[in-house]
Amino acid sequence: MSALASRLVQAIMVALLIGAATFAMMRSLPGDAAWRIAAGRYGYDNVDAAAADAVRAELGLGGPALPALLQWLGDLARLDFGTSLVTGRPVAAEIAHQLGASASLALVAVLLSLLIGPPLGILAGLRPGGPLDRGLLVASTGLKAVPQFLMALVLIVALAVQLRWLPAAGHGTARHFILPGLTLALGLAAVNARIARDAMARIAAMPFWRFAQWKGLSERQTLIRHGLRNVSVPLITYLGLQFVTLVEGVIIVESIFGWPGIGHALVHAIFSRDVPMVQGTALVLGLGFVVVNAAIDLAVRHLDPRVAA
Amino acid sequence: MIRSTFLATAALALLAGPAPAQSDDRLDVVAQFEIQAPEPSTSGYIFTRMGIAETLVNADAEGHLIPGLATDWAVSEDGLTWTFTLRDGVRFHDGTAMTADTVVNALEIARGKPGPLADLPITGIAPGEGAITVTLSEPLAALPAYLAEFRSQILAPASYGPDGAGVEIIGTGPYRITAMAPPLSLDATAFADYWGPPPHIADVGYSGVSRVETRALMAESGEADFVFGLDPASVSRLGMLDSVEVLSVPISRTLLIKLNATHPFLAQPEARRALSLAIDRAGIARAVLRYPEGATQLFPPAVAGWHDDALSPLGHDVGEARALLAGLGWQEGSDGILVRDGKRFALTLTTYPDRPELPLVAAVLEQQFRAIGVELTINSTNSSEIPAGHQNGTLELALLARNFSLIPDPIGTVLSDYVGNGDWGAMNWRNADFAALVRGIARGVGGDRERAGAAAILQAELPVIPIAWYRQTLAVSDRVEGATIDPFERSFGLQYMRWAE
Amino acid sequence: MSVVEIHGARRPSLPLARMTGATLVVLVVLFALAGPLLVPGDPFAQSLMKALAGPEAAAPLGYDHLGRSVFHRLAHALRLSPLIALAAVATAGAAGLLLGTLAAAQGGWADRILTMLADALLALPGLLLVLIVLAILPGTALGFWAGLSLVLWVEFFRLTRAATRETLASPAVQASRLLGFGPAYLFRTHVWPEIAPMMLTAAAFGTATAIMAIAALGFVHVGMRAPTPELGLMMVELLPYWREAPLALLSPVLATFALLLGLTLLAGSRET
Repeated sequence: MSALASRLVQAIMVALLIGAATFAMMRSLPGDAAWRIAAGRYGYDNVDAAAADAVRAELGLGGPALPALLQWLGDLARLDFGTSLVTGRPVAAEIAHQLGASASLALVAVLLSLLIGPPLGILAGLRPGGPLDRGLLVASTGLKAVPQFLMALVLIVALAVQLRWLPAAGHGTARHFILPGLTLALGLAAVNARIARDAMARIAAMPFWRFAQWKGLSERQTLIRHGLRNVSVPLITYLGLQFVTLVEGVIIVESIFGWPGIGHALVHAIFSRDVPMVQGTALVLGLGFVVVNAAIDLAVRHLDPRVAA
Repeated sequence: MIRSTFLATAALALLAGPAPAQSDDRLDVVAQFEIQAPEPSTSGYIFTRMGIAETLVNADAEGHLIPGLATDWAVSEDGLTWTFTLRDGVRFHDGTAMTADTVVNALEIARGKPGPLADLPITGIAPGEGAITVTLSEPLAALPAYLAEFRSQILAPASYGPDGAGVEIIGTGPYRITAMAPPLSLDATAFADYWGPPPHIADVGYSGVSRVETRALMAESGEADFVFGLDPASVSRLGMLDSVEVLSVPISRTLLIKLNATHPFLAQPEARRALSLAIDRAGIARAVLRYPEGATQLFPPAVAGWHDDALSPLGHDVGEARALLAGLGWQEGSDGILVRDGKRFALTLTTYPDRPELPLVAAVLEQQFRAIGVELTINSTNSSEIPAGHQNGTLELALLARNFSLIPDPIGTVLSDYVGNGDWGAMNWRNADFAALVRGIARGVGGDRERAGAAAILQAELPVIPIAWYRQTLAVSDRVEGATIDPFERSFGLQYMRWAE
Repeated sequence: MSVVEIHGARRPSLPLARMTGATLVVLVVLFALAGPLLVPGDPFAQSLMKALAGPEAAAPLGYDHLGRSVFHRLAHALRLSPLIALAAVATAGAAGLLLGTLAAAQGGWADRILTMLADALLALPGLLLVLIVLAILPGTALGFWAGLSLVLWVEFFRLTRAATRETLASPAVQASRLLGFGPAYLFRTHVWPEIAPMMLTAAAFGTATAIMAIAALGFVHVGMRAPTPELGLMMVELLPYWREAPLALLSPVLATFALLLGLTLLAGSRET
């Protein structure tokens, strides 16, 4: 239970940090926020003094700092994220709309990475030092050194533009998931292949493994009976930590592929100084990490009762 | 294990397979604009370009005003009362009829929001019998042109919330929205009760893709049929492909330097002329924009009536530029930058990356100004810094792209930018002759001679320094034919396009 | 910007991999520092007539879209982001070390509050923090430095705190304490030798992370601004010309990859 309590404390701290950071952002905007927001709303052809005045009047910008901060914290406590300064729609509705797109992309990426990485890692871990193990080490080290935006660039130029197999960008159909999904998945797979490999190699060296084989189980049966469960624990723990990597990847990948998700929204909101949107998206991402990891704490306890002890 | 890896590969191969990049019968349009909300005052131009919403007045490719939802218009003797006759039998997408009352409602709401209508001397808009009348406090010859602007689009009353904010786009155009997912996408289908000829292609979709590299790649990979707003590099790359046709027309948009005419370094016209002479317009046009030529005056040839072939062109002469500045008392310092009274000739140029060519041109200008001893610091920032700096007087130089035909008649932009204190035009520059000429043209007195006179004053005084005239470029896939570009950036022309045989 | 975790069962260290990594990093640094000395040139000077022209003696990697030497821009870019990254890592390392030792030595409320803060920061995607700090602070380089330091100190803090706690509880330290040695001595003889190798690994890793972040944000146009030569910005600027001038695009791509691969190998057997 104390694990969950500490997650709760973490969640509260996350909320406070983001609240303070976004408030500081609002207050320290280089230039006048009303102008920025007007530019975001009306576009560069039409932003002028009248538009900025309209925004200033509508949003009541430029009041004293202390009441604004209290108001801010009060709203935050009631989970009222306010309305987007640019679109005028409630932030909660905007995020609900975008979260689905991001979550489905992230899910596809995680599934793809699990299909690619752990199978290869387990095979490598069964024969440590073999050609597959060495090859995998080189490949995963190389992949880890490729930032996601570079991976996206290479995949787009190779698969979409040169071979014309896949759409270069956009969203809507299943085909659109592949390139952004693969961009994220390759980076994740590079790591979870190593995790699976290490776990497998450790398990394969343990006495119970040899015992299982000795009592007549084939390697395949041994793996299914004894191996997978043991490999899955470090893998799942790791997925939770990778959530942050995944979210960062989503921010970059969504802006490159024009994906209408929360990362894209965040970059846009920062650019046009839409502070309520920044606050909302940042909160969702930060609390998402806490929730995912709390869920993983529980899952690991279920898979490996020793942890609970 | 092997099996699941194999399955993954197979699934990828199946999805990725050699099928053509698209096989649907929807026309996919891609442009840089994001849909913010169903709100005509902010995202309205997307709805007019997509053929969803319409205006009372339209403009043809030469900029002549032609009937839209109004079939005819006339002005009273004193120039103060305009009557617009409405088209019969027009229906909104929700099935309701367009009446004089609904038109007045839409225009009154538009007038209450920031935009060009808000600044006009309009005293009232009243419904009549199959017509509306607009009364003015002073004559305004360009009023019909203002009603052709996207913010004057006519939507059904149900499109607006109680406070006038847009809640849904119910227009009268050839396409009606079937699904809208701000900020990036919109689907539309042909509207059965459209008053005009029905479109050839029934289903169209819009995607907002803000990155120009990505848009070009979508055209290159065949993912989109109609890709708007290409960067110069992608134009030459796409030109090498057979599957894509690149269209390009000159438009009424000019790349220019806005400058603070009361800044101590820039107050004399000679100083502004020296900066102008430092600019290698042909080089910028060829290398950065990949256009055949640079600007020779402020108004591009597309701005009919205002462009004057007889004006002597702006040139490039580093020697003369240096001589002009030496005549103003500037002397070269030890690092090659000019100095006068202990002050270095150093200025900040503000620009914005929304248009990808602007930071590039700024980088080129930095080098070209250095050649005459002027140091430039580039501040590539949010576009609003320019009007904000104009208002509080801190702006020195700004590099921007200005469209003279946001309203199809350039007089509106000329009046607000160069006579009024226009945020995107001249800064702290006043010229009584120019103001008199332009006010006269706005009232409806004065023709080509007055326009040429006004253009000549701008050329001599250089309250802004023109650099290049824009071209609009778009890529169309070989699946469709009949695509055109509207030089006034009002419409994508989707209803005239058809599938290639 | 990822969470670094020391893996329970460390693989035998790979001197070969570390050597390769060190060599790669040294080569890249050598290119950045010595390249412009061997072939003098200006990363900002343009010659529009030479736009996208191929390599020549004055520009061994050809010219970019504005006729600037890719060689010199690359060398400049390879000084800029590693410099910001090193500054951020140094700041973060110092702060992490100080606060980590403090938390471990003091315990109690100081420890609890610092740990809570570190845990909360851990939950936030680093790029997000950097983006917010960039929006608050004027000046991109300053913003990157501050933002990246804010992100990276957590790692150093956690490592230091864990190692210090363990060391302070060891019999050797107890003995030293009984002998009356002060905290400075304890740190120097017992704690520092224990955490120094970890610090080095974390520093190499943090540097790679920081360089990646700067390039990624440059690539999506929210980082460094043109005309500053920066790795991600160079790539996105040259991307439209990939058919016309593939070498110009390939140069920053390969240089970035070599640098990051070198740092990853140098960091050794840790997982991202």
